[in-house]
Amino acid sequence: MSFQISNLYELAPELSMTLLALVVLAVDLFVKRRVITVAVSLIGLLVPLGFVLAQQFSGQYEHPKTIFFGMFIVDHYALFFDIIFLIIAAVMILASYSYIHKYVRSEGEFYALLLFSVTGMMFMASTNELITIYISLELTSIPLYVMAGLLRTDEHSAEAAVKYVLLGAMSSAILLYGFALLYGLTGTTDLGSIAVSIGKGVQDGNVMLLLAGGLVLAGFGFKISAVPFHMWAPDIYQGAPTPATAFFSVGSKAAGFAALIRVFMNGGLWQENLHAMVLIMSVVAVATMLLGNLVAAVQSNVKRMMAYSSIAQAGYILVGFIASFVSRSGSGNSAVLFFILVYVLTNLGAFSGIIALAHATGGERIEDFRGLAKRAPALSAGTALCLLSLAGIPPMAGFVSKVFIFTAAWSAGLGWLVIIALLASVVSLVYYGRIVKAMYFEAPLKEERLSTPLGLSSSITLTTAALIVLTFAASIILAATNPAAISLLTALK
Amino acid sequence: MVAIFSNALTWTLLLPVLGALVTLITPERIARWAALVFTAATFALTLWMFFSILGGPQGFAGFGSLNNPQFAVNVPWIHFSAGALQFNINYNLGVDGLSLPMVILNALLSMLAIIGGWKKNRVREYMALLLLLEAGVMGVFVSLDLFLFFLFWEVELAPMFLLIGIWGSETIKHGMPGRVYSAWKFLLYTFFGSIFMLAGILLVYFKAGGMDASMLYLSQHLVGGTVSFLGITVGAQLLIFLLIFTAFAVKIPMFPFHTWLPDAHTDAPTEVSVILAGILLKMGAYGLIRICLSIAPAGMQAFAPWMAVIAAINIVYGAAICLVQTDMKKLIAYSSVSHMGVVLLGVAAAAGLGGANFRMAAITGATVQMFSHGIITGMLFFCVGVIYDHAHTREIAVFGGVAKRMPLLATLFTFAGLASLGLPGLAGFVAEYMTFTSSYASWPVVTIISVFTMILTASYLLWMLKRVFYGPFNAKWKHLLDADVREAIPLFVLSAFIVLVGIYPAILINVITPTLQVLMHGFGVAIR
Repeated sequence: MSFQISNLYELAPELSMTLLALVVLAVDLFVKRRVITVAVSLIGLLVPLGFVLAQQFSGQYEHPKTIFFGMFIVDHYALFFDIIFLIIAAVMILASYSYIHKYVRSEGEFYALLLFSVTGMMFMASTNELITIYISLELTSIPLYVMAGLLRTDEHSAEAAVKYVLLGAMSSAILLYGFALLYGLTGTTDLGSIAVSIGKGVQDGNVMLLLAGGLVLAGFGFKISAVPFHMWAPDIYQGAPTPATAFFSVGSKAAGFAALIRVFMNGGLWQENLHAMVLIMSVVAVATMLLGNLVAAVQSNVKRMMAYSSIAQAGYILVGFIASFVSRSGSGNSAVLFFILVYVLTNLGAFSGIIALAHATGGERIEDFRGLAKRAPALSAGTALCLLSLAGIPPMAGFVSKVFIFTAAWSAGLGWLVIIALLASVVSLVYYGRIVKAMYFEAPLKEERLSTPLGLSSSITLTTAALIVLTFAASIILAATNPAAISLLTALK
Repeated sequence: MVAIFSNALTWTLLLPVLGALVTLITPERIARWAALVFTAATFALTLWMFFSILGGPQGFAGFGSLNNPQFAVNVPWIHFSAGALQFNINYNLGVDGLSLPMVILNALLSMLAIIGGWKKNRVREYMALLLLLEAGVMGVFVSLDLFLFFLFWEVELAPMFLLIGIWGSETIKHGMPGRVYSAWKFLLYTFFGSIFMLAGILLVYFKAGGMDASMLYLSQHLVGGTVSFLGITVGAQLLIFLLIFTAFAVKIPMFPFHTWLPDAHTDAPTEVSVILAGILLKMGAYGLIRICLSIAPAGMQAFAPWMAVIAAINIVYGAAICLVQTDMKKLIAYSSVSHMGVVLLGVAAAAGLGGANFRMAAITGATVQMFSHGIITGMLFFCVGVIYDHAHTREIAVFGGVAKRMPLLATLFTFAGLASLGLPGLAGFVAEYMTFTSSYASWPVVTIISVFTMILTASYLLWMLKRVFYGPFNAKWKHLLDADVREAIPLFVLSAFIVLVGIYPAILINVITPTLQVLMHGFGVAIR
């Protein structure tokens, strides 16, 4: 438990990521060429990736290893999320290469902020202690607030940033309140000890625990944009520079879920108050799916629509998590991890397409996308495939990931939740299909062909290819998600 | 890996996909031929499978059944086990006497569709999507794992949505171009149906132990008992049947879920209509026989009286509404509703009260009807497509006596019409005769009502042919050209099949009978 120098190896991915962010900041100071900053960032990402893969395949972390007085944990769950975050960083750097200077003047800072935020996300997945979780959450969020406001001359962007800061601060306060109650009930901030304490039967009664759980859910609900804590998402998605929006939609959400699931599973909250807690979570999940999908269907701005779509997707993820929470097994979380990986890739691909198309046509409304299939066939096809994946149409991986979640939930006895989720996904077909319809069925506004810059076309090609491959190679990913999901439950065994 | 790629059925799926890729990357001149070559290769492969079984030691008996599928491959694909949950999807393919005719029909019609669509604009994308559609539909007919079946069932949505939506007709419907309206309607109806199927599949999978989703396993380990949901208790068999059947009912299409079909047909381009009527509708009927009959026999039996009644509505209502159609294509679309009703009636009779022999004959009739409706309606749609391409209208009223200008097409169209109304000696007669004679044993009243539709069928088809091709010549059409060689090829090929099945139906019946015997035997045991 105590501090050893050799423990720095467990921390190596996060450490190298921090260093990389500092290096990028320094490089940007002296070299004002974007291509160099980007190259340094992309190549630099290989270092943390190398550490993560080395830890993943070393076989040393079959049983979770806690270091630094139990504050930091390395297990398959943390490593899986580390890989997701590194993928996000890499694709974001690729996708923002071509256009970021059109959106913001300070390009170097954009990359540094991105890398700092990703560092925070990696910490969020690997901390095992309430205060560290809170600090990593802030490390993740503060760069995000800045990124939302990077369009300094744009009113919408400034408004988005202010809204984001205020609502973010409020949600942090709610989360802290929940943490404080947990500490008050159990006398410890260490998740493992909290689990043991709850297992023995907390002293101050179950209602307090329920309240604590509800507050934690609300605090993270903001990050994952679950209804009723979703209000910020559409405005901020619309106002922020599109590359930053893409980053919020995947990074913030994945990190929020990483920490949420960690607190609830490792913290052993599933040992008490099961019915009431499950009811609260189910209500949140149902509201998230229904509101997200129904409101998305009436949006006319693509970025707002994607905001509601990401709300809806959070609802599906919650369904999988609830399945694990109810059945006290890894099945739901394993499906959730697969789903998050697929969601991240899909949204990154869809946003790459939207950034490119919106920039080429100069508008972000759905009608601005009319007839793009004739003007930019490859790009439109990639975007359409990503949208189909979000809707859950095979052969894209979105189909398999949804089936996994629904299967896990069904086997946990949550058939009614599955039925609602299935009906909600019919609605989702309408709005994803609307963009496909605009791109393919309608006459183009102009005839000239659109050219796609290299960074965006490579990011969309990579993600689309990955989505098709994931369908066929699902077993390989599941071989990694299963131990990850099970490692969450080992704390009490 | 070797097991997968050395399997012929894998290649019936892969060849169209490869063809789609080749079509997309080659220049237009080569792309057409590439598409044709790949569909022809797929067709040749399916024929080779047919004849290699036929030439095998067992001959017709060698087509096997669900218990003994041919060209089978069963490899684990996704094995997901966590805690108590086991979720297994196997790459489980195989054909038998029920699915092989459908596989051949799919390959044949896809190949003819490529020939028919030779001159489309944006031809590369058109053919690539047709090829992807072929692959998806092929997967439905060859997969023997329920989850895999569901995956392929959904694969077909996206290509079909795009095919109707991009190349469909511009006629304004409900404030938007008809192609857009119909593509949406098709997509939403089908997707809505299929979510029920997923729920049904999950239900049966976990009820049966949650280990194996193969159709064989589920047909041998029938689930029983009841399911309680929101305070309502239903028999598990009936619930599973209803959930899964909803998807098939939309696809067949069964009244009252049929309204997407006339829209989709009138707005789809010719070749897509051919595929839609010829193959996609059969996916529903195939699923009904393959899945519902074998894994939810008791549910099927409980629903059979209702199905018989709905079948009669399909038959009579579909035919009656044909009489008032002014658009040739819409008329044929509604005739599909009527003819698919015959399939429903056959299946309902097979699950009904008649003696074992009658029930066997009824299901055979339904299966023959699936095949013959595929080739006959495919041919009718091709004929309408030729007229439309030449005259740019499908309104029956504006024609008159055009047989003078289009003698070849008039002959072939009349031939297809006669086949459709059930002229003895042609494919339609065999199927309908078999179905009606045997369904009488199970549902006499329904059958008597349905049989009278033969008169309606004859009248709407002959009346349409008379108004378009015969009677006084409308001078407006004196520059109309007859079908050229390319347009005539699909028509001649299909008429050859119609005559073959009509004169020598044994070639089809002998193939499907052994399979259906096993199926009906299992059904009989299950419901006793």
